[in-house]
Amino acid sequence: MRKLTRRTFLGASGAGVVGAVMGGGLAGCASTMGETQPTGRRRVVVIGGGWGGATAAKYVRMGDPRIDVVLLEPNRQFISCPFSNLVLAGLRDVGSLSFGYDGLRRRGVTVRHEAALAIEPDTKRVRLASGYLAYDRLIVSPGVDFLWDQVEGLPAARDTVLHAWKAGPQTVELARQIQSMPDNGVFILTVPPVAYRCPPGPYERISMVAWYLKANKPRAKVLVLDANPNIVSKTALFREAWKAYPNIEYRATNRVIAVDPGAKEVRTEFDRIKYDVLNLIPPQRAGQIVVDANLVGADKRWCEVSHLTYESVKAPGVHVVGDATTGLPVPKSGNVANSMGKIAAIAAVSLLNDKPAPSVAPGNTCYSWVSDREAIAVVNAYKIENGKVVQIEQRLTPAQSPAVAARAVGWTQSIWQDVVG
Amino acid sequence: MPRAHIAVVGAALLAAASAPAPASAQAPAPMLYETTTARVVTCAACHGVNGNSRSDAMPIIAGMDAGYFKKQVQAYAANARPSPEMGPYAKQILDIGLDEVAGHFAAQRMEPTPLKADAAAVARGRTASAPCVVCHGADGKGDPARGIPSLAGQPPGFLRDQIRLFRQDARNPGDTALAAIKALMKTLPEAQDADLAAYYSSLR
Repeated sequence: MRKLTRRTFLGASGAGVVGAVMGGGLAGCASTMGETQPTGRRRVVVIGGGWGGATAAKYVRMGDPRIDVVLLEPNRQFISCPFSNLVLAGLRDVGSLSFGYDGLRRRGVTVRHEAALAIEPDTKRVRLASGYLAYDRLIVSPGVDFLWDQVEGLPAARDTVLHAWKAGPQTVELARQIQSMPDNGVFILTVPPVAYRCPPGPYERISMVAWYLKANKPRAKVLVLDANPNIVSKTALFREAWKAYPNIEYRATNRVIAVDPGAKEVRTEFDRIKYDVLNLIPPQRAGQIVVDANLVGADKRWCEVSHLTYESVKAPGVHVVGDATTGLPVPKSGNVANSMGKIAAIAAVSLLNDKPAPSVAPGNTCYSWVSDREAIAVVNAYKIENGKVVQIEQRLTPAQSPAVAARAVGWTQSIWQDVVG
Repeated sequence: MPRAHIAVVGAALLAAASAPAPASAQAPAPMLYETTTARVVTCAACHGVNGNSRSDAMPIIAGMDAGYFKKQVQAYAANARPSPEMGPYAKQILDIGLDEVAGHFAAQRMEPTPLKADAAAVARGRTASAPCVVCHGADGKGDPARGIPSLAGQPPGFLRDQIRLFRQDARNPGDTALAAIKALMKTLPEAQDADLAAYYSSLR
């Protein structure tokens, strides 16, 4: 498919489209810098090159190579959050989770490493530092941002108190801090209240840090301050896994309300607690750009979308995918974002070709490591019923095992390719 | 999808040869997302584009015999072939339409695993495969009429895992139709599993 020349495709295109393309002229495709007018070819702009956005950009091109796709992503690499907890345990290098965007470029996606500054749905354009970018359809995969001001002292300390909840430099720094922690040190991890990115993620992280400390610093302790009343996901499986880790102290319903990095102390409603290494995962909401564009609901946190097209209920022509969405019975996971990216791409391609969007249900396969060699999983299957996503079944692995861990590795080999390959 | 595109390109070239511009209005638009392709698009997360898994653990389902595919999905959905992953997804396939999905993947061109097996392991596996040939054939392609699947070109990790599941009676537990292969697996030394997997993954 990628060997097709543009000329071949023009030949293969329907007459109406050919006319439109001829009218725009090929020269119009050459530059997208700062322009405000469409070129004649249809253009889909994708904001965010994570699990949802990178997938969406690729699948629009796979669906209809006559559509120009521009992906806006400031980072030069896609770094996978799934498996990043293995970096904290010293079992993986962050480089093994990092991928460039050349795979998308080979599929004809124009990847621009710059930030989208604002969405203007009324004029169908995105504002950049260099000007405006017009779109026919917009797919936004903004991920999450943090509600810093919900923890006293955190806004001033946001660069030094680590979340490591977006894989990258903070992951590497947190791993370094854990490795250089005193032998009898206290590692505190705070779990934010739901909803947040990756429901089992904090508990996988607790498991892997506990595994590392048990092996390397047996006198050290993992103290979990969970804002929620219980382990949020895979509850019984994590409880079982933690029997191997007496170094974990788990406190439910212990929301962190303040942090003092100078004193190395956090405060809950009940206690002041000293730490040697802190991993404070702040409360979350959708990425800033969709909050600014008022695509979020009354809670100012998440975006309600169509279950069939992922179009925002507040802005026709703007699809929102991934962790930023709400209202579907799905977790905020990488696999779900990957599903949503594909389905939004299919919808955008269909609608740009004056066809109805087909009914396609997402899926969720979610592995969590609990030691250096064992993992657990949860799987959710869905269908579409009366225009809504409905869960068919959720199933957990019966126990942790190396076989599940092998399939977790297999899942990454497949899905990373699906996202950026 | 590649076939569809070859057809499109072919039509385009014909159109270009016989009638200059504008191109034939009848030429189909290059749309990937006809209905079934769209509905099974989530499968690619594990099984790869068009069912051609590139991973070690997930099987390639592109080109899989439709009858075998359907039997396995039904077994997964009924939990006769227990799988935390495929149990739920089998029910999703039944909701989409089993015939449609089986036909879709059967029509895809199978691309063997890109994982290269160690030549010595392949040679040992070839020697060890004598008891397997009776059913799976000298070429490892099985016999769809008898419900015996092709093993050729599947990822080695997946094949190794299936040997283990048969040996432990964890694949379709208690299924009398599979009693013979399970009995056979119990006679094969575990140390040979990787060699057998390497050999069958190397077949084309």
